[in-house]
Amino acid sequence: MPSLSMPKVMRLACAALALSFAVPVLAQQQVVIVTSFPKELTAAYKKAFEAKNPGIKVEILNKPTPAGVAYIREAPANNKPDVFWVSAPDAFQVLSQEKLLARIETPAKEVPNKIGNYPINDPKGYYLGQALAGYGMMWNTRYMKANKLPPPKEWADLAKPIYFGHVAISSPSRSGTTHLTVETILQGEGWEKGWRQMLMISGNCAAITERSFGVPDGVNSGQYGIGLVIDFFGLAAKSSGFPTEFVYPSVTAIVPANIGLVAGAKNPENAKKFIDYTLSPEGQELLFDPQISRLPVLPSVYAKAPAGFPNPFTGKIKPKVNFDSDLSESRYYVVSSLFDQTITFRHKELTQAAKAINNAAAKLAGKDQAQAARLLEEARELAYSPVVSDLKARDKEFLALYRNTKRDALKTKQITALEEYWGNTARKNYARAIELANQAAALAK
Amino acid sequence: MAKVKVEFQDIALAFGKTEVLRNIDLAIEPGEFFALLGPSGSGKSTLLRVIAGFARPQSGRVLVDGEDISAVPPWKRDIGMVFQNYALWPHMTVHDNVAFGLEERRLPRDEVKRKVAAALDLVGLTELAARRPSQLSGGQQQRVALARTIAIEPKVLLLDEPLSNLDAKLRVHMRVELLALQRKLGVTTIFVTHDQEEALSISDRVAVLEAGVIQQIGTPIELFDRPANRFIANFVGTINLFAGTLSAGAGAMLFESEALGTITLPGIPAVSPGEVEIAFRPHVVALSDPGAPVERGLIRLGGRVAAREFLGEFIRYTVESGDAEIIADQAHYTGARSFAPGEAVQLAIQPQQMRVLAR
Amino acid sequence: MSRRYNLPQATLALVIALFLLVFLVVPVFTVMFVAFTNSDGSLTFAHFRSFFQLTLMREAFYNSLYVGGMSVVVSSIFALPLAYFTARFQFRGAMLIQTLGVLPLIMPPFVGATAMQLLFGRSGSLNLILGDWFDLNLPLMEGLNAVIFVEALHYFPFILLNLTVALNNIDSAMEESAQNLGASGFRLFRRIVFPLALPGYMAGAALVFLKVFDDVATPLVLNVTDILAAQAYFRITSIGIDDPIGYVASVIMVIASMAALWGSTWVMRGKDYATLQRGGSSLATRKLGPWQALFAYGWIVLVLLLVLSPHLGLVLLSFSKMWSFTVIPEAYTLDNYAAVFRDSPFMLWNSLLYCGIAAGLDVAIGTAIAYLMLRTNLPGRRLLDFIASAAVAIPGVVLGIGYLRTFRGFDLPFTDLPFVSFWMIIAFAFTVRRLPYALRSCVASLQQLHPSMEEAAENLGASNRRTIFRIVVPLMAGGILAGFVTSFLTAAVEISATLMLVSATSDAPASYGIYLYMQSIVGRGPGAALGVITVLLVGLGTYASHRIMRARSLRFETLQLLK
Repeated sequence: MPSLSMPKVMRLACAALALSFAVPVLAQQQVVIVTSFPKELTAAYKKAFEAKNPGIKVEILNKPTPAGVAYIREAPANNKPDVFWVSAPDAFQVLSQEKLLARIETPAKEVPNKIGNYPINDPKGYYLGQALAGYGMMWNTRYMKANKLPPPKEWADLAKPIYFGHVAISSPSRSGTTHLTVETILQGEGWEKGWRQMLMISGNCAAITERSFGVPDGVNSGQYGIGLVIDFFGLAAKSSGFPTEFVYPSVTAIVPANIGLVAGAKNPENAKKFIDYTLSPEGQELLFDPQISRLPVLPSVYAKAPAGFPNPFTGKIKPKVNFDSDLSESRYYVVSSLFDQTITFRHKELTQAAKAINNAAAKLAGKDQAQAARLLEEARELAYSPVVSDLKARDKEFLALYRNTKRDALKTKQITALEEYWGNTARKNYARAIELANQAAALAK
Repeated sequence: MAKVKVEFQDIALAFGKTEVLRNIDLAIEPGEFFALLGPSGSGKSTLLRVIAGFARPQSGRVLVDGEDISAVPPWKRDIGMVFQNYALWPHMTVHDNVAFGLEERRLPRDEVKRKVAAALDLVGLTELAARRPSQLSGGQQQRVALARTIAIEPKVLLLDEPLSNLDAKLRVHMRVELLALQRKLGVTTIFVTHDQEEALSISDRVAVLEAGVIQQIGTPIELFDRPANRFIANFVGTINLFAGTLSAGAGAMLFESEALGTITLPGIPAVSPGEVEIAFRPHVVALSDPGAPVERGLIRLGGRVAAREFLGEFIRYTVESGDAEIIADQAHYTGARSFAPGEAVQLAIQPQQMRVLAR
Repeated sequence: MSRRYNLPQATLALVIALFLLVFLVVPVFTVMFVAFTNSDGSLTFAHFRSFFQLTLMREAFYNSLYVGGMSVVVSSIFALPLAYFTARFQFRGAMLIQTLGVLPLIMPPFVGATAMQLLFGRSGSLNLILGDWFDLNLPLMEGLNAVIFVEALHYFPFILLNLTVALNNIDSAMEESAQNLGASGFRLFRRIVFPLALPGYMAGAALVFLKVFDDVATPLVLNVTDILAAQAYFRITSIGIDDPIGYVASVIMVIASMAALWGSTWVMRGKDYATLQRGGSSLATRKLGPWQALFAYGWIVLVLLLVLSPHLGLVLLSFSKMWSFTVIPEAYTLDNYAAVFRDSPFMLWNSLLYCGIAAGLDVAIGTAIAYLMLRTNLPGRRLLDFIASAAVAIPGVVLGIGYLRTFRGFDLPFTDLPFVSFWMIIAFAFTVRRLPYALRSCVASLQQLHPSMEEAAENLGASNRRTIFRIVVPLMAGGILAGFVTSFLTAAVEISATLMLVSATSDAPASYGIYLYMQSIVGRGPGAALGVITVLLVGLGTYASHRIMRARSLRFETLQLLK
């Protein structure tokens, strides 16, 4: 039945197939960039770079940071992408450790070595700082007005009962920038106190979003009142005309967004060109675009900054925390997993606990009821203490468990058992906390 | 068209465990209008499909014009078939339908046009060439199907119950036309039907099939007057059958039965003495009033009319005679004596009109 | 009527089998293999044990079942009254109900979800109004409810259609004989009408469950992560292609989907007894009483409003410059459309290319399999049909994962481009996922074609090949076209496998583009614009194909009624 095996459509398909073989061979030069940055930023750089380098095509692979790391890891040796460009330095550390990055020379001598205490470029030379960002809070003015909420100033403010159900945050496992935010808080306040704060804030959260953009997105549209965001989200939103405001709390770190060359990249020359461009004055000025709103690493460029644009070098934003990236890297997966098991996946129970506690606290306000107060304190302890102690978190063996990504049945079993334990403990704690809080509330009558 | 001989040699066909055709041996003469007659399930359509190439027998051969075509695929056999449901293609006009076979033979365009016109003219549908099948009546569709087949001037023409989808009056009209057409073309034709009247009225010869076996081959009159067995006797026309014993008497054969008494049979029946059946057609039974004079030598019986059916040309009486029921047809015309149910009557039968069948 | 097959037919069957093997069977088995083995290759159930030990995974599983089941329930609530009105009453609104039956299907759930957030979310239009007037806040778009709401609103036409057809197929004699014996009203409905319509309903319900269970994009857009499809996606994309838990989740999804499908077929077996007798008529219709009319029209209006809400929301969003905490956007602009036409027209071309290839392959393969199934007795033809149809139970995300795993390390011949980065893999994924629909269409079409049509052609000298060309394919044209259109339109909104397989933005089809746009702050507007364009194209395509098919079928219907 040859006629049926070659109807017109199939012939067309074969032709298309044959043609597409030709395409890779005839393709121009390209540079493949794995990045978590949004379209506005990547499109601007793509356009500018291609205008300057007509023979080179910029191919953007847009992926969330953890997926980008996985992608580079998984890519076969003969087809590695060229450039990795994300906000979170710890992702670079992970790749660097796994020898997936190639060394690059620092082009611009004017880029300072450090910002605050944090090195802008990798001391070992595997990646460069390309832009700077801080972390802060962003809120929707209309929402706040409608719900009669005062604007927050510090992270700790978000733990207050009045903000219950109005906050949004993303999960560190899904968002490199959130991971950094959480690390910043943990490093700034210490493990125990930091987790306590995170738990209380999370208790006030209406949602733990899937991607970091979900937070500013929700605040923009008025779905949530306040979000923990990286500064450019907040700044860009306001300049785009959304009814939002942004503030840097005092416990914040300024951390570079890095760019690096992938080891074994397919187009290393083009990659170097691109990296150089992003660090050139022209490339840095692109960051001032209101829709992008990131802080350049070249101090000289700030002369051309728009009015009111934050300047990390002249000390307008005072970072209080000296970010220790080694520490962050060592406990990267642990922090992510702990957050997920005790907060993200137990969010419903956590918010219920927070609600019960707030309720009891409101009832007890001003009253002198020792027993009720004690119950309430206990409830708070249960709900807001991390299930992994500071000591355990420093244990090398414990941390090593999470390092190897190769999963065999035994490893998987161990890790899942651990995660299971954390989740269950958290759940039990929250349930008990609700009980105690309700008891306290009952006594307060 | 050339006239070819068609032969079936020892054809046997089974679908799985079911045997559909058994030991079919048949020779159809060139230019014959031959009918395959039988009830549904008798295997007649299957036999037709065997020669068309749509059914493969497990054993046996089919010869057309002396050549064994058993291994030839349907599209190379040059045997035209008119399907029971006509199978006209709805996406083609009448003209295109008829032209199809000619186009497949790669004939030049003007020749195709010519032959199509000729075929349509033969069936009287020239004005309808541009129509689509859905716009035609049943009779017209049938003629298109016919035209389509004869356009290619096949060696053999097969007709698979071509008239069964038409209403009664049209059927009668069309069968005559079919025969006329066949005579004009001279092509060997095999015609499948379950309607014995149809088969008998137009065929040169008929083969009766039952349960995959050929029961009898003969001219219509042979089948009607001298059915070979009980089945054929019953199937072809209506018949009265009575069981009895055949024995040799003084100078003649005697048939004894309870119902009819002892009958002396003229001539020597082809059946050996013993348990037999005697058969006679309803129209050979003469009814008269009891006591009326009856010719000598006729078998006389008495009875009572149990039922009567008015069939136009004749009245069919069911007469109870003793334990037996005898069907008698009396020609109907103005002034004829007709009997009412319950009336007593006298039956007279000519022995020469009776046949003896083996039991 | 079976005849032997010939060599060209057998070769064709082999080619198709090979295609299905490489692009369907092997990837699915790869996924199952990983789920059942250790890194050293030994067989183990340990991963499954680990899976069920993870509370999160257990919850995800139950949530998926819950969401699937509830979607069926809510869909039925929408559909049942509508089907009942059409079948039972003389009703001028029948045209309206038919429209209701099509509108939701042209907008994929993940596209409408964002718009529905804006309308029904906690700070959405509805709740803003309710909050102002009644101080009320309906949690319509919180968590799992959001997914159920969006999915039910999109999929209820499946149930509506099946139920309507089932009710229309009930011979009035069934009802009349029951009435003759004394039954009437609700009792009649419960004992006679509903049981007879049930098998048809089950088919629609199973399909809805299946599609909701497998949907990964809608929960992601709605920020719901604790369901199975989302978890499988996360595990593979973030932790890496070696994480067995993701594969276990995939296997469970496949099993659940197959169970739903087979379950419904099994229930339906031997119960297709509602078909009209020859010359029979369907259920008698009555006039609407005043209260009934009020309820009927009221319900229709309500459903219509709900159905139109994502469309409305999407259009508003596409034209909005700013929509924050207000009932409707406060500033409008055409910039979003300009941005789409400026930056992303290539995505529309990509969609056209991939869907065109997929639909073309689908009808070619579908026709071939239909012919082999119904006209030959080639051994293994039923297996071919089964495998091709089974693709409907394979979730898109599983297929995507399977491809990534199976073709890992393979390069396109003569180049050093990895196969998984080659855009054609997306087209093949579409082909395999949409093949079942095209196949059913082709089979139905060929079944209606009486074999005598082909025999007549062969009798007149056309070889098997030419008969197929001149007779079979033209007469199947209606079904083939229907299959092509269905494949094309459903491939245009495919997202689950696409999410896994798109590696470069320049290769992305429009559906991925919409998803991508919705990821950035200022991208919602252009995303909505792209969504509107896609929906318009899909809608126009559906309408046009209906018109063409009606015209064709009217012409050929009459003659097919013979015998």
